[in-house]
Amino acid sequence: MKEVMLDCLGEACPIPIVKSQNKMKELAVGDLLIVQIDHSCAMKNVPDWARGEGYNVEVEEVGDGEWEVIIEKTK
Amino acid sequence: MSREKTTEFYDVAVIGGGAAGLTAAIYSARARLKTILFEKALVGGLATYTNEVENYPGFPNKPKGEDITNLMKAQAKNMGVDFKLTDVKSVELHGEEKTIETFRTTYKAKVVILAMGGRPRITKAENEEKYLFDKGISFCATCDAASNTGKTVVVIGSGDAAIEEGMFLTKFADKVIVSVLHHEGKMDCNEIAKEAALRNPKMAFVWNSTVKRFEGEDHLDTVVLKDLRTDEEIPVKCDSCFEFIGYIPNTEIVKEQIKLTRAGYIITNEKMETNIEGVFSCGDIRDKWLKQIATAVGDGAIAGYASEKYIAESETFHDVILQKEKPGLTFIYNAVDAESREFLIEIEKIENHFEGRLVVNRVDIYKSSGIADRLNVTEFPAVILTVEGKVKERIIGQLDSQKINDMLDAICVECHNK
Repeated sequence: MKEVMLDCLGEACPIPIVKSQNKMKELAVGDLLIVQIDHSCAMKNVPDWARGEGYNVEVEEVGDGEWEVIIEKTK
Repeated sequence: MSREKTTEFYDVAVIGGGAAGLTAAIYSARARLKTILFEKALVGGLATYTNEVENYPGFPNKPKGEDITNLMKAQAKNMGVDFKLTDVKSVELHGEEKTIETFRTTYKAKVVILAMGGRPRITKAENEEKYLFDKGISFCATCDAASNTGKTVVVIGSGDAAIEEGMFLTKFADKVIVSVLHHEGKMDCNEIAKEAALRNPKMAFVWNSTVKRFEGEDHLDTVVLKDLRTDEEIPVKCDSCFEFIGYIPNTEIVKEQIKLTRAGYIITNEKMETNIEGVFSCGDIRDKWLKQIATAVGDGAIAGYASEKYIAESETFHDVILQKEKPGLTFIYNAVDAESREFLIEIEKIENHFEGRLVVNRVDIYKSSGIADRLNVTEFPAVILTVEGKVKERIIGQLDSQKINDMLDAICVECHNK
């Protein structure tokens, strides 16, 4: 079980979601993907996409307008 | 995740971080209640999808919806609201202590405020997701009509919302083209709206049609309709498309516990109380007439205030009415009822007679029936006698002070002998 950070700071939609989807393919079940974002548009689609896939999702607001979306690959 | 689930305790848990939930949290935290707000994604709710908000009072410069809700969020943080950005997996709303489960933590709260809002139903036609909200597909004429002044718009649907909003759009747009699923002349809306729409020179109808596809470079410029009888494609050039084919309230996690309308909205009274004690609801998720930031804020204020009153009443109930030190007598009456008022004198005599061996409470249900509800008293006046915090006797309707005195004598003797 490993944690992978994905830096999407400064990147607007749809780049964060595309990078997240690609990165997720490389991970194994049980791994955590932590997507760093600072565009609020990505907060609308990245957690939604991940939940739609059935993964566990939690978001931390690490700064004002800066988030870490923590996605656990469950399957 | 191998980590064990932890449990956290709060006075008030707000589920949903839109304008309604944020306002409820601001009111609750300002009343010094320990408050947590759950939001599954971006704080701000549906308002964050609107680029220009022109009708929220106090903001004359047409801010983005997100700018307004970010200020609400900052205000809630200043008040001490805790934010948890995760989705709620399940809730248990019955009982005095409510439970909220997220994937890593269990939360216990005295009050739950349901403010999960809703989402517009979409057509699921090709390319729809590319143009949702600020890219040409809108779900709110009140929000986006003005930016379509002098333009051509397509409306999908023929229910009351579609036709009434469509007519509202004709005040701004030059041409409103309505895609209707049914044969010529048949609509799902009421007859008055239908007649008015058919007479409106700016409105045109494409009968027997549904949406096949959306097209456009960055912004929507063509809605391709499909004739249901012939499968023929009908491209319609337009500047915006408004979809009014219904709304889906986000009630999935509570629908087994909370009373809903047939359409799935939460039923509340004007105090935002649901059918379950200590559970309130506000904003777009509840059955209401107008869904706007302004009305969400109004709902939220009431829900937050009502939560404070509910918790105060709970504390009174446990610490005063059901105190354990001495035998208790609670007189429940209605101050507008003369008979009830007259018996207050008898209650005072009883209180004097037992001089300090008895705790006497007087509850006027004219202001609030909360305490009476908790004691399951529905008829007034009533006298409830308690021993060690438990109800011993209930005397309802015809009150006889001699009988009450005798009962209390017996209770006091019993207590003395223990």
